[in-house]
Amino acid sequence: MKENCLDIGIIQSFLDGEVSHTESARVSGHTAQCDDCAVMLAEAEDQSAVVFSALEREFNTLVPTQRLWNKINDSIATERANRPFWQKAFAFLTVSLAKPSFAATASLLVVVGIFAAVWMNRAPVPADIAVNGSQSQQTTAAVVPPTLISRPAPVEPEIDTTSAPTYRVERASYRREKRRVNSAPTTINASANFSTVYMPGEESYVKTISSLAKTVEEQKDGGVMRPSERIAYERDMAVVNDAIAKMKKEVKRNPRNESAKQVLYSSYQNKIDLLNSVSQKEELLVSLK
Amino acid sequence: MKQIIDNLMLSAAMAAILAGLPVLAFSQFRLPAPPEKPERIERVEKHDPPAMPMIWGGDTSEKSIKVDSSINLSLCITQGTVKVNGWNRNEVRVYVQDGSKFGFNVREKSSRTGDPIWIKVMGVAIKGKYGAPQECISGNEIEIDVPVNATIGIRGNETTTTIDTVRKVEVKTVEGDITLRNISGGIFAYAGQGDVSVEASTGAMMLETTTGNILVFEASPSEIGDSFKAKTNGGTISLQDLRHRQVEVGSISGSVLYSGVIRNGGSYNLSTSKGSIRMLIPADSACQLQATFGAGNFSSDPELGIKLLTENVSEGPIKSIVGKLGTGGDAAVKLTTNNGSISIRKQ
Repeated sequence: MKENCLDIGIIQSFLDGEVSHTESARVSGHTAQCDDCAVMLAEAEDQSAVVFSALEREFNTLVPTQRLWNKINDSIATERANRPFWQKAFAFLTVSLAKPSFAATASLLVVVGIFAAVWMNRAPVPADIAVNGSQSQQTTAAVVPPTLISRPAPVEPEIDTTSAPTYRVERASYRREKRRVNSAPTTINASANFSTVYMPGEESYVKTISSLAKTVEEQKDGGVMRPSERIAYERDMAVVNDAIAKMKKEVKRNPRNESAKQVLYSSYQNKIDLLNSVSQKEELLVSLK
Repeated sequence: MKQIIDNLMLSAAMAAILAGLPVLAFSQFRLPAPPEKPERIERVEKHDPPAMPMIWGGDTSEKSIKVDSSINLSLCITQGTVKVNGWNRNEVRVYVQDGSKFGFNVREKSSRTGDPIWIKVMGVAIKGKYGAPQECISGNEIEIDVPVNATIGIRGNETTTTIDTVRKVEVKTVEGDITLRNISGGIFAYAGQGDVSVEASTGAMMLETTTGNILVFEASPSEIGDSFKAKTNGGTISLQDLRHRQVEVGSISGSVLYSGVIRNGGSYNLSTSKGSIRMLIPADSACQLQATFGAGNFSSDPELGIKLLTENVSEGPIKSIVGKLGTGGDAAVKLTTNNGSISIRKQ
């Protein structure tokens, strides 16, 4: 190595591009004339190539400055503040459910919730769950679900009272039928919905009332009646319907009650007369026009 | 630390939501509530708007026509006060004050005398120079004189009707009271909204009103078998000195009062859905009695000596009493009220 040869540090700085332009020109000129320095530069280049290839990923990564970091943090904070709740919750869930312990707890809670809801919705158990054999028969006959009221009562099996009482547990459930939305007027259905099993002659009353009521409902809404008349009509209709309901119940309870039957028929007739009075007035009005 | 607390809070909130969701969903299918009680019907006193003031200002006119003694007169009245009076002349006179013009339409003549036996009072609408017949007439006051043996048929809208001393009457009005006196051959009266009162009349009677009362004083059959029927929806029926044997009276929400004799072989059926029934009868009355009542009671004057045959007054929606008054006899009295009391008293 000659005295004016280049220092290895300068050569390394030259390769790293860290020398000034003048110094870079001097290094280039010297290595062109000096074989030793050229060899040294070549070796330094080989070493750099090996090192750079190993550290290429590190060197190529952009290193953010503190200012950039501040900007990024500000943006994240703003976005978090503006994000809707459900997104936060969803993000939280997504992240949290990835954790097995949280997922297990949540599943357990859901199961408990469903169980609680089913428990709350459970049908009440009658007070007299356990009764003896004969009593159970009576109870079964007495507690008829409302939906079955209109059907004929099943034939009661004969009860052997001499045999030893056997205990039986019964559970009656009560479910209300879906409420039907019926556009027909209430006055029509007040008597029609009671039963589909009629006494002799009752069906004709019910059919007559049903057909009359359809007509009358249109007429009374058409201005045939004055307000005071309408009030009186509705009041009288309520009275008649109430009488029919009470008598039907009584006849159902005691089919031998002839007085109740007579009053029931009389009430049906009253209802027909009441409906007819509206039609009669309508006819009279039409004849006067 | 703050972040941990935040996370814990959020975790608790999410857990609560998850647990609550199914509960909320299923809670919509709760057990049904007990059946609703029927709505209480409140009686609300409402008044109709004041009626439009009558605007009269038509013509005042009078016309008459010679007719047969048993004339049948029919007319239609849209508005006004009508007074029909029987007289001993074979002539019909019609007087309309402040009302429409009218004329007589002879529908049938007697083959024997050639006089009209059926006439109709028709309105006349003036159109330019000519008049066109119209069905109904109107007037502030309409007075009609007819032979006492006449049959009157009236259809009216807003009409107050008074008929006196004719043979037979058939009146139908939409609105307005009907008063009938000294009708000898039977009555059919219907008032849509108004009272019907009958006095000193004979013959078969059918009285009906929707919202009014029915008052009868001194009525009797002209022939055996003439029946008496009275029906009202919301009014009271008061019968005094009624001598028909077939009596059928019904009200829905009104009371019934019967004051008179119980004739042998008669059939008396008095009923109401919501009201009381009162009978005032002579002490020596005799009949078979059947009283049916609901929420109410039965009472009778001891002097009448009611002998109970069967009595069912146990708890329940309907009670009944079967018995006989005096010697019993073959008259049947049937009293029915669903919601009211029954009383029988001595006159």
